[in-house]
Amino acid sequence: MRFLIINHIENAQQSLKSNRLRSVLTMFGVTIGVASITTILALSGGASKIVSDQVDALGGNIAVIRPGIPTDKTLNELAELPGRQNFAASTLTEADLAYIKQVEHIEAAAPLMILTGGVHANSPAPNNTTIVATTPELETINNLELTQGQFLDPQLNPNTAVIGPQLSINIFGTEDSIGKTVTVRGQPFTVIGILKRTNDPINYNGVDFDNSVLINQNSGRILNQGVLQIQQINIKSESIASLGQVIIDTNKILLKTHLNEADFSILSGEQISRPTNQLFYAIAGATTAIAAISLLVGGIGIMNIMLVSVAERTREIGIRKALGASNGDIVVQFLIESLALSIGGGIAGYVLGYALAFGISSFLTFDPIFSWPIAGFAFGVSFIVGTLFGLYPAIRAAKKDPISALRQYD
Amino acid sequence: MPKKTPPVIVLTELKKRFGLGDAEHYAIDGINLTIKKGEFIAIMGPSGCGKTTLLNILGLLDSDIEGDYELDGTRVSTLSSRRQARIRSKQIGFIFQSFNLVSRLSVIENVALPLTYKGVPRLARIKQASKMLHNFHLGEREYYMPQQLSGGQTQRVAIARALVNDPSIILADEPTGNLDSVASHIIMEELSDLHKRGNTIIMVTHNPHLTTYASRVITMMDGRIDTDTQKVAGAKVKKTKRKA
Repeated sequence: MRFLIINHIENAQQSLKSNRLRSVLTMFGVTIGVASITTILALSGGASKIVSDQVDALGGNIAVIRPGIPTDKTLNELAELPGRQNFAASTLTEADLAYIKQVEHIEAAAPLMILTGGVHANSPAPNNTTIVATTPELETINNLELTQGQFLDPQLNPNTAVIGPQLSINIFGTEDSIGKTVTVRGQPFTVIGILKRTNDPINYNGVDFDNSVLINQNSGRILNQGVLQIQQINIKSESIASLGQVIIDTNKILLKTHLNEADFSILSGEQISRPTNQLFYAIAGATTAIAAISLLVGGIGIMNIMLVSVAERTREIGIRKALGASNGDIVVQFLIESLALSIGGGIAGYVLGYALAFGISSFLTFDPIFSWPIAGFAFGVSFIVGTLFGLYPAIRAAKKDPISALRQYD
Repeated sequence: MPKKTPPVIVLTELKKRFGLGDAEHYAIDGINLTIKKGEFIAIMGPSGCGKTTLLNILGLLDSDIEGDYELDGTRVSTLSSRRQARIRSKQIGFIFQSFNLVSRLSVIENVALPLTYKGVPRLARIKQASKMLHNFHLGEREYYMPQQLSGGQTQRVAIARALVNDPSIILADEPTGNLDSVASHIIMEELSDLHKRGNTIIMVTHNPHLTTYASRVITMMDGRIDTDTQKVAGAKVKKTKRKA
């Protein structure tokens, strides 16, 4: 049997070679499918790796609290109109922050209030500049480093700001902007610190710190008609071991203060790194759909060509049976041929997928990842397609009556 | 011819039916036949008398039969299709009128094909096939494709293929039907040579001249055995055949 498999592989190779164009075209369907799957897996893997690396780098004792019911965004939700929740005020309040700070083993908790609005100095800042109102604890939780100056301090003049290096270049033309004045929503703020460049536009805060201006929580409140809107609270436990307990206690306290309504979610570790960008989900979903359709079409192509091949080689099947091939031998022979088509297409797709992923990543801020699960998935998908769509033609070949098969073209 | 050799093939009331209802007819309509090891049997008869059908049944290509077929003492109807394939692979060699070489494969690969299903490793297959081709004076044509050979050469390749497994029974369906008289003669000499070496050969033919090579001639008519030289009471026929 061992020799037979090798023989079948040689045989398949020969038969596919003798119809080279036909084989290549058939493989192409699978190639496109596997390429799309590989691209999307490599890129989404790269995106979530970037975030999980950040979470890991922070020591694994970070959790974030976000407003809203914890749900996994599905493709369906994207197609719907924005829900009420999107227009409602955040369910996290200053009072929550105060309660959280009382939880045992919490080292620090920092709110993030994300505002939009005009930021300008010598020249206006680009539109994607974010204004973050927060407390000094953010520095410890997020390991934010400064190249110059100091971090926010409520004891100082409230109208002070820390800005990202890229923003500094954009509005002042230099990274050295300590003491200069930046106007945020019409209010002048003095720059007291410049952040160190992070090059992490995708992170669990949803804030590109290179391109943002950080102000005190109270200044944020003033800029927002006296209302504090907390989009996220980052908490840091004293140790990795105590994070679990901290999350449980925080959850209890918040549930109590929110009248047992779970209108918030506490995320830690992997949950934080799950890509939060909805557009990313949409693209991933669409690509997966394209991949699935193309795999289906590719599979049908394989089945089609295998049926043609079986019909063309009816006589050969008859000869082989007369010479001692069992039905099983014939099934395996044709199945290996269809597997060769699908796996060949799969390998080409895997390579093409990475080529595409690297091409696309040159426009993005992260690199695709290489991992065994992706390779395994690409191989598995091709294997399944080859088997699924090759089985029927192979069985049909094996069921041919040797006598009438031998009579073909007589 | 030693008479005590055990029978290789025993057919008892063998019937093969084709069609259904009104169209139903028996291509083979009650054949009783015993074939001993080492016999060279020529089966003659008009077209449609069931010669080829009989040969297909003997070669285990057609197992949808009535009656009994015992091969080497085993009832064929009790064998699974897998087991039958193994018997085809090890004990039976087919030679066809239309040669039936696989056109994609070279001459040597064609000859090695039966060994594949016996599980012989590739190198051993090629060696054995090459040896067999040398025996048939085709050593120089090993890597030709079948369509590059003459009819006689092609049939010799087919015979080499039928013999490469060292089968005990060789079934030949009009082996010279597509050949001219010279090539026919060469092929028949080869078969006769095989017979002398102890192989059992069953050959279907239209050509009465070829029966001279056979040790026993069976004529069929309408699915039955019409005459069988072994059973003819007068030893006349037998004697003439033997002398031939």
